[in-house]
Amino acid sequence: MIKTKTWIFLFSLLLLGSGLAAGLLFSGATTADVVEIRQDGRLVQSIDLTQVQESYSLVVTDEKGGSNTILVEPGRICISHADCPDQVCVRRGYLTDSAAPIVCLPHRLVIQAAGETDLDAVAQ
Amino acid sequence: MNRKLFLPLGLLLTLCACGQAPAEAKTSQLFAMDTVMDLTVYTEADSLMEDAARLVSRLERSLSTTDSHSEIYKANTTGSAALTDSTSQLLDRALGFCEKTDGALDLSIYPVVRDWGFTTDSYQIPSQSELSSLLQNVDYTRIIYSSDQKTVSLPQGMEIDLGSVAKGYTSDRLIQLFRENGVASALLNLGGNVHTLGTKPDGSLWRIGIQDPLGDSYLGVLSTADQAVITSGGYERFFEGEDGTVYWHIIDPKTGYPAKNGLISATAIGSEGVYCDALSTALFIMGPEKAIAFWREHQDFEAILVSEEKEVFISPGLAGSFQLTEGSPYHLTVIGHD
Repeated sequence: MIKTKTWIFLFSLLLLGSGLAAGLLFSGATTADVVEIRQDGRLVQSIDLTQVQESYSLVVTDEKGGSNTILVEPGRICISHADCPDQVCVRRGYLTDSAAPIVCLPHRLVIQAAGETDLDAVAQ
Repeated sequence: MNRKLFLPLGLLLTLCACGQAPAEAKTSQLFAMDTVMDLTVYTEADSLMEDAARLVSRLERSLSTTDSHSEIYKANTTGSAALTDSTSQLLDRALGFCEKTDGALDLSIYPVVRDWGFTTDSYQIPSQSELSSLLQNVDYTRIIYSSDQKTVSLPQGMEIDLGSVAKGYTSDRLIQLFRENGVASALLNLGGNVHTLGTKPDGSLWRIGIQDPLGDSYLGVLSTADQAVITSGGYERFFEGEDGTVYWHIIDPKTGYPAKNGLISATAIGSEGVYCDALSTALFIMGPEKAIAFWREHQDFEAILVSEEKEVFISPGLAGSFQLTEGSPYHLTVIGHD
């Protein structure tokens, strides 16, 4: 009897363990928690999106006066306005895949996930 | 006796273990070749990142179509140019790819691409007569290249651009630089051109997403090591004309119009960045039937082809390493060998 109980206990423990592991594996963290804003390769600011309570805007200006307005919302981030000629960064919308950054080439501005992410890179 | 032997052996093993401890990740972000480049290199040598940046800017200066000091600029504006070793080597390979793809890739398409405004972001739909006139000078077979003399001559009115292979070639050169300096693990992302050296430091495979051409996420994940993964898609650069039609930057050298032959994205995977870069463009232009036939004929690369009908064709070598994302609207088909 005791033996059976022990087995049941061990088996439950195994189930619980694999459940937890599966949860960690498949939590599908495609949106990064912490993002870095870089200009010309230099870190401007690092933001933990999970700690953002209220939306706010952030204006980043490059050496030549070109500017991007970054909209920081609880759990997500995008470039809402830019005075660059191509507007690729604005059209890109929110940072969805942690491995594919938002890039404003004319202003050398990059918003990207920090630390370990689900993917190492996105071919595009 | 045994004990005497054990001590040095133990020491040796410890030393070996130290030598194989994973090197620290060095990262750098460069802006070059009209894109952003992210380099992640597992090395102890700080100077290697500076060498990499210098190599990129040297290649950019040689290959640019707009820098008046570049060899390509000189060839385009004066009709001929003497080439450095790198440019000569790249032009040689690129002309080989033009021939191998039967002109789907053509280095002399540049004036047409420029006329559409894709090089300047001032988009326009050229008239048919304008295109016909420009197409008369699109023909890679008329590029006169001498590998012995390292020179190139162009007929009157022809201009070339190595942009379709430059990033792939650059990642090859970077990988070579890192390999020569003992690096076992690196991830290069040259504006979406991904090139991996070795595995991740822990021995696991790199996880590379392939951009969903119809959305802002990725369509699937490829697990890989020691390979270049290069994708071309209409989504990269496009504009919507006043007629409501979407025009993208990949121009079919046969028509002078954006290539709409049934594919919305083409990915080539292989050990050589320059070949994969050329192929991703050429396969996109070929369309699904010709691209699949091309793969069957050569079988010296792996491919992921995405059609307008949301069919994803993969070469059989990827059957175990590429997976569509869960709940994907795409349908996966493995290409048969014949």
